[in-house]
Amino acid sequence: MEACLAVEKEVDRVFSKFGGINDHARRVLSDLISQIQSLKDEYQNAGEDHVLTGIQVDILKQNMTKIKETVSKLATDHRDLHSTVSKVGKAIDRNFVSDFAATSRDSVFTSPEKVNLINKVICQHYYRQGMHDVAEELAKESDISTEPQEKEPFTELNHILDHLKNKDLEPALAWATAHRDSLEAQNSSLEFMLHRLRFIELLRQGATHQTDAICYARTHFRKFVHRHEKDIQTLMGMLLYVPNGINSSPYSCLLDSEMWIEIYELFIRDACQLLGVCVNSPLTTSINAGCTAIPALLNIKQVMMQRQVSGIWNGKDELPIEIDLGTENRYHSMFACPILRQQSTQFNPPMRLICGHVISRDALNKLCNGNKLKCPYCPMEQSPSEARLIYF
Amino acid sequence: MGTCIWDLEIPNCPKNLDREVSHVQQAATEIEKTLSDCQEVKAKDITSLLGGMVEKLQVLKRKAEESISEELAASNVCKRRLEHLKEHNTLTPNGNLSQGALNQWRRKRLDRMVVEYFLRNGYYNAAISLADKSDIKELTNIDIFLTSREVEKSLANRETTKCLLWCHDNKSKLRKLKSNMEFNLRIQEFVELIRSDRRIDAIRHARKHFPSFEEEHLSTIQQVMALLAFPVTTVIAPYKALFEETRWDTLIEQFRQENYRLFQLASQSVFTVALQAGLSALKTPYPFKYRVFFSGLSHITHCYSDNCENMNPSCPVCQPYLNQLAEPLAFAHCSQSRLYCHISGLPMNENNQPMMLPNGYIYGEHALEQMARENDGQIICPKTKDIFPFKKLEKVFVM
Repeated sequence: MEACLAVEKEVDRVFSKFGGINDHARRVLSDLISQIQSLKDEYQNAGEDHVLTGIQVDILKQNMTKIKETVSKLATDHRDLHSTVSKVGKAIDRNFVSDFAATSRDSVFTSPEKVNLINKVICQHYYRQGMHDVAEELAKESDISTEPQEKEPFTELNHILDHLKNKDLEPALAWATAHRDSLEAQNSSLEFMLHRLRFIELLRQGATHQTDAICYARTHFRKFVHRHEKDIQTLMGMLLYVPNGINSSPYSCLLDSEMWIEIYELFIRDACQLLGVCVNSPLTTSINAGCTAIPALLNIKQVMMQRQVSGIWNGKDELPIEIDLGTENRYHSMFACPILRQQSTQFNPPMRLICGHVISRDALNKLCNGNKLKCPYCPMEQSPSEARLIYF
Repeated sequence: MGTCIWDLEIPNCPKNLDREVSHVQQAATEIEKTLSDCQEVKAKDITSLLGGMVEKLQVLKRKAEESISEELAASNVCKRRLEHLKEHNTLTPNGNLSQGALNQWRRKRLDRMVVEYFLRNGYYNAAISLADKSDIKELTNIDIFLTSREVEKSLANRETTKCLLWCHDNKSKLRKLKSNMEFNLRIQEFVELIRSDRRIDAIRHARKHFPSFEEEHLSTIQQVMALLAFPVTTVIAPYKALFEETRWDTLIEQFRQENYRLFQLASQSVFTVALQAGLSALKTPYPFKYRVFFSGLSHITHCYSDNCENMNPSCPVCQPYLNQLAEPLAFAHCSQSRLYCHISGLPMNENNQPMMLPNGYIYGEHALEQMARENDGQIICPKTKDIFPFKKLEKVFVM
């Protein structure tokens, strides 16, 4: 964020200093042009053999000095502008990482078959997002064949989401009403939230729609009283301020456009949960993970360069640091040996000792003393052959 | 704010106004001189001088307008992009970070990256269509790429004119980048002349254009000149290579790269870099099963094995296409075990004790208890389909 602010400062400097420079330059130059033009016309009309009088010569001289001054002033201004703009460029270089590619091996995704795979993934992503024209255009230009699969159930969802984006609650409400029971089973407040927004929108239109709003509340809010009593009270409280404008009331935050973003996200989340599909497409998840990972990887790369140990990380077997993607992005069990602090592999699988503690096979071999093994976590002595290979 | 990695570039600005300014000033000096030199200044002499002055001022005016508005436009683009980046941290009216706005921002970020990826790969229509659809045209470098599209097209049609024009327009910058684009184009023209058996023209062409590259590329020039002695069908290695049609594709690729450098764009797209990092961060080695390729080499499979027993439909790396893409990549680093029950997807810890079935497979206690309740105390291993009584389960302690 600081990076943005630093660059923005420079950009703002450009505008504050040079906001009017274009108009100014145009005006000054047009003035000069018209002045010289009129002088020229005047002399032309004076006749073939007219000799300039002393005054006319003086006027001309003055004009020439003026031109020189103005023009050199313009040149300085312009140079100034240019240097201020290039300062923005320097600020960008300073505050943003341009060499983000340092973390990747550039050859990995360049072969034609990989490009083909990437294109297919993108294609599927846009089919899923309901942007069929983008997907089809891509398929045509990159010459890949994709089956427009996964259309259902996303077609319906995308249709509803499109309407939500345009602040039309109708299709979403219809959907939520149709799926009321399943939504309730997963403890979703989607339907109430939709009605709530509808009510707020009625109130937004001012005192003339007050009665409509009350009617709406009477018909629709009753069934939510058990779960949303507090919310309904708040909503009714809004009515107090309708005549004086809700904007200047404690309830003003309910009119924020944030409400629409919220309902959009809520709809995606709850509908996807109901349908048992992922909220994000695989591509979205991967890219989000990548954007979390890149800064950390860049940092570690830089540290490695400074310590001159960059050879350690060849980008092939394992990332040098752990990337925390949050709990929702963990899909598989990972076992790291608590003794060796290494991830298990097919050559070094996890082993369960007879006492229930799990260590990796390498650690087990190292802890062995002849035919005896003492568990590192409890006093139990056992034979290493009793340990069992386990599968997570 | 680590996520702002993004090529925010300042478009190349303008030739400065120095030349036009000095023209005007010269003209002014000339008029002054005429005025002070002669005793009697004739009106008709002065009018023609004044006419020249007006012309020069007009040129200056046009140039100044162009150049200033270009610089301001560049700053404007910059400003809008910054605003977009700042939306990343939108606050709700209550002063919290807005998760919804963040999600939308992320979707936009993905679209932005994809547009750039499309442009780099020459899928221009898809890029335009996507940029329009998600309304991010200003956040992408579409214009730069559309200009280069024309040049690429002409190169693909075996024409050099447009590309040479581009070289000429960006001459000083290209020189700074030590680009040999123009030289390569000239060689290609030479080769084409020989191909069409106009060897005399080829020599003329060489005389005209090669000397300016003599210093740097003398040996290449010598080699290329030797081409005059060979037939088009030659099989001798370096000369055969010069006659290859694929040289045109190399030229296109070179042009793309030089264009990126000119505009300070990175050589790889953010999209592929992010995809690579993301797949790596999500990729887990699946430790036990391995694929046996026809060559007989064993290979670590990531995330899922051939019989799909560990596949998780929500995991991106478990999707067939992404899985293939992830294959050559590094997998995530993990120093602390993180266990999830394959049946319920819930984490296994002291509240959901991992339990081992007699076949060595581990699942969470809760899921197994539920299965036993529904199955008269029997557990069916979801991976091996073996059946065990619940009481045969044993606890597992993972530190």
